Amino acid sequence: MKIWKKMALGSAAVLAAMSLAACSNGSSDSSSSNNSSSKKANLTLWVDTEQVPYYKQIAKDFTKKNKNIKVRVVQSPNGSANAKTDVGKDPSKAADVFEVPNDQLGQMAEAGYINPLSPEATKDIKANYIDVASKGVTWKGKVYAFPYAQQAQTIYYNKSKLSANDVKDWKTLTSKGVVATDFTNAYVMWPVMFSAGTKLYGANGEDLKGSTFDSQNGVNALKWYAAQKNNKGVMQTSNALNQLKKGNAQAILDGPWNAANIKKILGKNFAVAKYPKIDVGGKSVQMEAFLGIEGFAINSHTKNAKAASDLAAYITNKEAQLIAHKEAGQIPVLKNAVNSSAVKSDPVAEAVIEMAKPGNSVLQPKLPQMATFWNEAAPLISGTYDGKIKPSQYKAKLAKLQKDISKK
Amino acid sequence: MFLKKKHVAPKATYREVWSKGDIATKLSFFIMGSNALANKQWVKGLALLISEIVFIVWFIFSGISTLGILATLGPIKSKKVVYDAAQGVYITKQPSNSVLILLFGVLAIILCIAMIYLYIVNLRSTRHNYILKRDGEHIPTNVQELKSLLDTRLHATLMVIPLLGILFFTVLPTVFMISMAFTNYDRQHPIAFSWTGFQAFGNVLSGDLAGTFFPVLGWTLIWAVAATATTFFFGVLLAMLIESKGIKYKAFWRTVFVIIWAVPQFVSLLMMAQFLDYQGALNNILMNLHWISSPIHFIDNQASPLVARITVILVNMWIGIPVSMLVSTAIIQNLPEDQIEAAKIDGANAVQIFRSITFPQILFVMAPSLIQQFIGNINNFNVIFLLTGGAPMNSKYNGAGSTDLLVTWLYNLTFGQEQRYNASAVLGILIFIISAVVSLIAYRHTNAYKEG
Amino acid sequence: MKSYSNQRRLSLIFRYILLALLAIIWILPIVWIVLASFSYNDTGFVSTFWPEQFTLQNYVGIFTNPQYPFGNWIINTLIVSLLSMVISTFLTISVAYVLSRLRFKFRKPFLQIALVLGMFPGFMSMIALYYILKGLNMLNLFGLLLVYVGGAGLGFYVAKGFFDTIPRSIDEAAEIDGATKWQVFLHIGLPLSKPMIVYTALTAFIAPWTDFIFSGIILSTSGNAKTYTVAYGLYNMVHTAKGNATAYFAQFVAGCVIIAIPITILFVFMQKFYVNGITAGADKG
Repeated sequence: MKIWKKMALGSAAVLAAMSLAACSNGSSDSSSSNNSSSKKANLTLWVDTEQVPYYKQIAKDFTKKNKNIKVRVVQSPNGSANAKTDVGKDPSKAADVFEVPNDQLGQMAEAGYINPLSPEATKDIKANYIDVASKGVTWKGKVYAFPYAQQAQTIYYNKSKLSANDVKDWKTLTSKGVVATDFTNAYVMWPVMFSAGTKLYGANGEDLKGSTFDSQNGVNALKWYAAQKNNKGVMQTSNALNQLKKGNAQAILDGPWNAANIKKILGKNFAVAKYPKIDVGGKSVQMEAFLGIEGFAINSHTKNAKAASDLAAYITNKEAQLIAHKEAGQIPVLKNAVNSSAVKSDPVAEAVIEMAKPGNSVLQPKLPQMATFWNEAAPLISGTYDGKIKPSQYKAKLAKLQKDISKK
Repeated sequence: MFLKKKHVAPKATYREVWSKGDIATKLSFFIMGSNALANKQWVKGLALLISEIVFIVWFIFSGISTLGILATLGPIKSKKVVYDAAQGVYITKQPSNSVLILLFGVLAIILCIAMIYLYIVNLRSTRHNYILKRDGEHIPTNVQELKSLLDTRLHATLMVIPLLGILFFTVLPTVFMISMAFTNYDRQHPIAFSWTGFQAFGNVLSGDLAGTFFPVLGWTLIWAVAATATTFFFGVLLAMLIESKGIKYKAFWRTVFVIIWAVPQFVSLLMMAQFLDYQGALNNILMNLHWISSPIHFIDNQASPLVARITVILVNMWIGIPVSMLVSTAIIQNLPEDQIEAAKIDGANAVQIFRSITFPQILFVMAPSLIQQFIGNINNFNVIFLLTGGAPMNSKYNGAGSTDLLVTWLYNLTFGQEQRYNASAVLGILIFIISAVVSLIAYRHTNAYKEG
Repeated sequence: MKSYSNQRRLSLIFRYILLALLAIIWILPIVWIVLASFSYNDTGFVSTFWPEQFTLQNYVGIFTNPQYPFGNWIINTLIVSLLSMVISTFLTISVAYVLSRLRFKFRKPFLQIALVLGMFPGFMSMIALYYILKGLNMLNLFGLLLVYVGGAGLGFYVAKGFFDTIPRSIDEAAEIDGATKWQVFLHIGLPLSKPMIVYTALTAFIAPWTDFIFSGIILSTSGNAKTYTVAYGLYNMVHTAKGNATAYFAQFVAGCVIIAIPITILFVFMQKFYVNGITAGADKG
């Protein structure tokens, strides 16, 4: 009886679905077709929001030199820190060139989201960039991104309350003042493990079976976390800036991305230094940090691999790195940019470059298993700090983490 | 009367239609709509005919390959990076895009089902016309057929667009999601993946996620019961308070409570999280009042799971009570007064009246919507995601915290570090099964309640 | 007698105090949010109830922020929510009316299917939705509108409950007088369901103002902040780059307060309809 409904419904569905299917067939075979660089190209560039204005300027200069290549600079949907998920959602719709922290390169390369760089670019990066930067963007012998900045946490402090000497050692730092930090963040806290003498993924940071934290050294680091709970000079907080402003804390552990905000809060009392020394396992050792390299990678789905590669190279050249430093406090990685007077006179850059030296920091590994590591390391440190994990469980917990993150 | 008689008119089997029908009728078995066209039902006939032609063309040129490839989800499983010497750059040969293959495979299946359905419709229409002709009755004209769309077939007219919406934006995605659970779509196979049967179910129910799944499931159920019960019970009480005799400006009071709806939850809950922070305003106020000697960890990572869970339920009351207050208000307004009066005369006090008359009546009326609220709470994403983000962390769990519900864990598995799409699809199916079982039992129970 | 009236007055006073206390609990956090939007903040965290330093700068900032075109967001959201309101309301009311007043073979199965579909968590469908819209080349505001409207056919429960309470004899009388079902729907069903229409419309109107998840999935790929809706835009402001959360936090709160104002006003004026609508539906489930 309801022939009309059924029919109208059925045929409408058939028609609509077919138009959908037809569209798909047209668009689904858009893969990495290759055009020569002289051809016209429209590129999209993803950068973090606050960097959009000056990269627009840099991209304009690029277009002036490469008349056929148009560049659209837009913000990374959820920030470069989430490049992996943003690109992974639909690589063919993602930007041709996008900003990405180096620890995601391994997983993105394995997934096939990004192209290795050309041999010339690789050679250039190996020769002209600081050593950690070229290492940071190399995955299984190939370079996957044009590096443009280095990031490491340092200690920011109020110099009217603490002297430069005070912040050289954790003991004096925490007896003379209060340092605010976050034990629920593995990025901030795991490097104490390095200070304790353990390796996350071997000496080169890429060895899946090279973890050594399931050891006495690892337990020593956990003991250090647990001890900080009762240290009056250490404040656990998720809002360190606010504590710094209110004077509840005189120092915080933070990264260059927040330097501008901290400067606003501390004004002329702003000071920055490399991490202090800490006592782990009865030895006084340098407190270490993760070293991150920010770079621009090339989407493997791009239709203009050559043009995209040219763009990525251009926006990471010396002038561009210096602009990024001037505008957003990004610390360059190109040797001759690092040595420029602007960078040399910047205390934040000085501290980060100091932290970047071997022995002060460890490059973030790029293994895809880092996803598991971030998921599991934070609860371990947080639980140890607040006592939910008892000393008797330390060894077992470390063993479990080591096993989980070394799975293929 | 006449209508009824027509209804019991002798039926015809399709065999009879086939053997005794005229050429156009016979043709209808192959060319849809030919019978309708022969009977001058142009619109219907053309619609059927065009649908068939479009379908066949699509099926030959695209449908066969779409369905064929569905079996393997694409032939090329791994990418290949090659050096393009001409340009001097590396280029990646992409593997098959299994997401699209799966999506359009599901779409193609739905399309085929729709076509089969349409074919049956065509046959029925043919038979109907045949019977009318055989019995010498009037075959509806084109105009009559169209007019019936606004009368006896009004339901068809009004339902077409909503049904299409449901088909494309709910049914298709749901079927797609269900199929994903049977693949190895995860971070190791992000573009090309394959069918792996029940492997993902195994991971969740007995593999590396089982240690997280069962505790999180337990908390999800406790949460859903607690959240539903507290908001309902206190919502009723609040409604009764506002509706009680002597209270003036009832609309004003109601508005005060409802304002929190106007503020988007991503700010009200975010600010609530700051309010409850260890260094937050609430702890500061309590400290200044000397009610506590040291700050309390409510929902941060140092909080004990129990405190955090209680806090979350309390905050949910703040969000949820106004809604159930509004719902109960008019029920209370419409409650029959006589029973209450009778009870009063018998000397019952307010508490007794509430317990044995008002509350059961409200419960009776609201039972179905309570079940819906319960299911809504199982899937209550916002409160947990925005308020605690799952905190406090739990070192025993994999990718979830102590206050994470199944649905927020599902979100973490999809959009977080690990990107285990297949596992989250499994979770989606399991959440569905739980919701279905619970509501089945509950509906049974309320039905029995109604009859008793 | 006197003690009785005393007792009643005491009870009333007690109830007023209780009500006032509860009202304060409910309204204080909202007041706090409003206060925070007027306070100077450079740390991304509000640790006091009363702001230490008042400023209007957050409101100036949100409208003049070069990265985040708040004005565009409001216009986008207004367009989407108005269209979604009109279309969804019509669809929802139609479905509810059909399921409640008309009888046909597909009715029961549809009710069951709708119930089942409602039990799947919506998140997993997002990946499929994304690709469907991409296939239609609609990863934009129009696609978002389709998503909001696409689900309208399943949101009929409350409205159906309402229609169930209207006696069928009214329709039958009209049909005996020769009215077609369409005329009954148009001239009897719709006018009677005015509170329900307001309720449904209000719900549909508010959704785009507060949804940050679907809008994020669909709109984020473009990277063009001018095409965002206000909910995703604001959420995006404090959830992208490290350091952003701190810098834009106060503006974010101010933006949220701005969008809460019209919704609150709507609530106040429509409250009566809202209460009637929601309760009529709840009566019969």
